[in-house]
Amino acid sequence: MNGTLKKELLGSGAAVVGVALLRGALGKEIAHLETAISIGVDRKLNEDTISLLVSLQKKAAQYLKRKGYRYLCIPPDSDRIKNTFVSKLYPLFTHKMAATSAGLGWIGKNGLLISPDFGPRLSLATILTNAPLQAGTPIEFSLCGDCGMCMEFCPSDAITGEEWSRREPYSELIQMDRCASHKKKSKALHGKPNCGLCITICPYGRKPYKNDPENSFVQTE
Amino acid sequence: MITEEKKKELLERLRNAVIQYDEDTSKEASQEVLDVGMDANDAIFNGLVSGMEEVGRLFEAQEYFVPELLMCADALYAGLDILKPHVTQLDLGVRGSVVIGTVEGDVHDIGKNIVKMMFDVAGFTVYDLGRDVPLDKFVEEQLRTDSDLVCLSAMMTTTMTGMKKVIDDLRTKNPNVKIMIGGAPVSADIAEKWGADGYAKDANNALKDAINMISSLKKLKEEAEAKKK
Repeated sequence: MNGTLKKELLGSGAAVVGVALLRGALGKEIAHLETAISIGVDRKLNEDTISLLVSLQKKAAQYLKRKGYRYLCIPPDSDRIKNTFVSKLYPLFTHKMAATSAGLGWIGKNGLLISPDFGPRLSLATILTNAPLQAGTPIEFSLCGDCGMCMEFCPSDAITGEEWSRREPYSELIQMDRCASHKKKSKALHGKPNCGLCITICPYGRKPYKNDPENSFVQTE
Repeated sequence: MITEEKKKELLERLRNAVIQYDEDTSKEASQEVLDVGMDANDAIFNGLVSGMEEVGRLFEAQEYFVPELLMCADALYAGLDILKPHVTQLDLGVRGSVVIGTVEGDVHDIGKNIVKMMFDVAGFTVYDLGRDVPLDKFVEEQLRTDSDLVCLSAMMTTTMTGMKKVIDDLRTKNPNVKIMIGGAPVSADIAEKWGADGYAKDANNALKDAINMISSLKKLKEEAEAKKK
């Protein structure tokens, strides 16, 4: 059953699909939905990315429903409708937790999911279910190593340089107030809060420059 | 004019959309109800609400859990949003308004929202104060809106004592108002001791109570219609 669903999702535009077993890690209301399917699509952060993600999620949900399993869709962060009943359950679970538990990647110094193939350039959605799916191996430690490019390039000095590991889930990777204040400033300056340098700069999964494919890594010196 | 068969089919589709927590079908079928000129009241009570009654049963039988219950509620609202503007106001003799909220310090509002939904469906005007509501606000809002009913919810033993204060305040200002309290730590004894008129133990019971209420409203509506004929 793993194979069929995964193939269908990958064939419909998902970049990565993973399965995580979360026994004992969930709140009481959703404790019976102990398997998480994590879907990531290439992050372009426009309308299409989100609607693709939502449609993939619906596809998986329909598949599970047909087979008679229970499920709960946790929509992509930017598409959470706040005033629905189900929205009360969203904060009980995070997409990054599902993705690292499924072995899709680790949490980088920039606080984002880093996939070996796509780097931090993934948008995520999660489906919790009680279907017995074959789970992947969780990733326990950061594989960022000595790289600190996101830290060097961050315009607001928000990245502390701490390394993530599942053992110490509460170490502070990002000083959120700094990141937020930078976005606020940038919004006042040119109307958009966009920054995203820590995503652009990450060497994992970065595409070669169009004009100079040989020299795809930025020289920091 | 719409045929009986078509009507039955649409009601069945609405009902199943709620039971199957299928928001898209709920919207489609509701739109179709309006397109073919079917009575919106009929569609709500015999379609959507009838589905929610079944959901209540499934929840009680532990076939559905909280996630399903909430998804069903969303499906119901998806249809209700489309149908509601076309509802002709029913004269049920019990038309009223209700002030509802979760008391200060408490942010657990799933149960409150389910109860609110049931009042919404039953045609009450609902003044939802949300969660973590300052205690004075309940009294203020009741006086402002002259509501018949005030519903208080608390999920923690530390916050539930706030309900007693609200009840006392309400009683001194307005002896006639009906008060319902609910939430996990509340019991029938406490409700009586504190002078509340009604109580619902948890979301499950609140749902059951609210469904009973709607069922009796439905009966009243049918009787009213029978009289007309």
